[in-house]
Amino acid sequence: MALLDVCGISDWLKEDGFNAKAASVDKVNHFSFAARTPEFAVPVGVDPAKFLKPLTDNEDGVNGVKLELEHGTTTLAFKFQHGVMVAVDSRASAGSYISSQTCKKVIEINPYLLGTMSGSAADCMYWERVLAKECRIYKLRNKERISVSAASKLLANMMVGYRGMGLSMGSMICGWDKKGPGLYYVDDNAVRLSANMFSTGSGNCYAYGVMDSGYRYDLSVPEAYDLAQRAVFHATHRDAYSGGTVNIYHMQEKGWIKVSHENVEELYHRFAAEKK
Amino acid sequence: MALQEVCGFNKLSYLYPEWNISASAFVYLEETLFSFHNRKNTDFGGFFTGSNGSPLELYVPVAEYLKESPLQFGQASPDVTPQPTAKPEYCSLPTLPFPTDIPLSASSSIPLPFQLSHGTTTLAFQFQGGVIAAADTRSSCSGLVACPSSQKILPIHSHLVGTTSGTSADCFLWKRILARELRLYQLRHRRRLSTGGAAKLLAHMLHPFKGTELCVAATLCGWDVGDNEETESTISAHTIEKNEEETIERNESLEMVCQKSTQPAPVGNLQQNMSGPRLFYVCSDGTRLQGELFSVGSGSPYAYSILDRDICWEMSVDEAVALAREAVYRATHRDAYSGNNVDLYHITAMGWKRREREELKEEYYREKEREREKVAERRRKMEKADGSKCVK
Repeated sequence: MALLDVCGISDWLKEDGFNAKAASVDKVNHFSFAARTPEFAVPVGVDPAKFLKPLTDNEDGVNGVKLELEHGTTTLAFKFQHGVMVAVDSRASAGSYISSQTCKKVIEINPYLLGTMSGSAADCMYWERVLAKECRIYKLRNKERISVSAASKLLANMMVGYRGMGLSMGSMICGWDKKGPGLYYVDDNAVRLSANMFSTGSGNCYAYGVMDSGYRYDLSVPEAYDLAQRAVFHATHRDAYSGGTVNIYHMQEKGWIKVSHENVEELYHRFAAEKK
Repeated sequence: MALQEVCGFNKLSYLYPEWNISASAFVYLEETLFSFHNRKNTDFGGFFTGSNGSPLELYVPVAEYLKESPLQFGQASPDVTPQPTAKPEYCSLPTLPFPTDIPLSASSSIPLPFQLSHGTTTLAFQFQGGVIAAADTRSSCSGLVACPSSQKILPIHSHLVGTTSGTSADCFLWKRILARELRLYQLRHRRRLSTGGAAKLLAHMLHPFKGTELCVAATLCGWDVGDNEETESTISAHTIEKNEEETIERNESLEMVCQKSTQPAPVGNLQQNMSGPRLFYVCSDGTRLQGELFSVGSGSPYAYSILDRDICWEMSVDEAVALAREAVYRATHRDAYSGNNVDLYHITAMGWKRREREELKEEYYREKEREREKVAERRRKMEKADGSKCVK
């Protein structure tokens, strides 16, 4: 299969994910995804999955240290008749410290593909850039754009190799290809789902309430902008790990456009004034 | 102070001078304890029986009782010797920093058979027309829907309603205890305790169980009647009418309403400004908060965003009811542990009024129908616009 060849997965699929002997030697420090002999970049001498499991699974972790890999953000995306709406907040937190209120959580893979980020900022940024590289290589090799389905599959396969090793990424791949608007959710557990509407992150439940209540497939464009903005705003209002500005993107047939970025405080006053 | 008297603090302060509250923290569980075994009363003699006049006498089971407990699942063998550092279980006091002659914690902890999750959606908010309390009706038991039509909003008295979340057994029991205490207070002092007072009472009753597996998260919604408000005589007439068709557990509440024809006793300055709708959130970990909007349970985040979006003080009653229903509906749509029906209570100066229980399946179909209509209308409009364009 063409995709398997591109990924170079069929070679090592038969082996175990982690090879102790191979890992004991210091290998290249990046994931050479499409090479004929792909290698995983893992720390030397230790099995990351076994190391991480007791720290995350048990109640008390190890000696009282428990790692909680949460996705602290709110991102959402939904498909409707005029394309795909993508809305994200912009707060980056490190524990209880807000490290940035102006973080970019949407990565523009190419003019017709967007990826959102939630979870560990480093993991998301790195892997989505690797995905961007792979999409570009695909286009150069095959002289046509990669489909959204294939792009999300590539990302999911990258994740599956590092399963259990502590990656934290919840991403939505949105785009427009030959089949029309596409929206996929890809997780650090290599979950890959397609649906009309997704929301990820710690504020996702708050966003779902508003989004469900206003969603119809035949929304008009301004209605869709408003719905996406309101949903993220209400999540930032209630969730401590979401805030900053609400960035909205609209994926159309000719590519994506950035609709707006509004500060959450201004939105609050605007919505409060509307109520009266 | 009224509260201390109710709890019988002053009588027991001689025993525990450092901590008055502790004395009132024993639960009196006569029926449950006696039904399990036929011990004589004397076996409980080792305990603090206190003064019988105190309404909040609580008994800690004997250490040996726990060995005979009917709970068979996952039970660790209980020790007889009280260990001050043992984790407390149901009905036993947490360790206290004063010398005791009572075996405080009877045994090493008995693990529960499964993780009790707080699967529910309840919400309550204030607006100009009073307080609305709404809840779903699903009782779940670790993945099984144990009861699809349970009642999560329990009326406590004619002007106070409590929503429940957490363990249903705990919530039900503590609501009844609270109702009893409020009634006693009212009989003694010839006035109703305010919602804030009721919340404080509940919080103090639950405090000794902090750290145990007791789980109660309730919002108390009520209307406080101040000195300057309409006298109870008019209120009683209205509430009798409205409450006739409702099933009221305790007949005393009806009697209470009937008897309230006298003016309330003169109260302090505090009461003057504290009439009107009130909403308090009380949790078994000790939280007691006043607010204008609360939602509790696993489905609460979904409900919160809907409520935040549309809530405003000047809403009409119909709008408020529709908002509460929509919020519960959205939460049940996304949360697996909430569902089935919506219960809605509206509390005004006249007392609480209960709406007909609504099936959420109907709501779902109605919504689909509305969507279809909107789509059809949109299409018609577009066709008309196109038609007019073509003509030109």
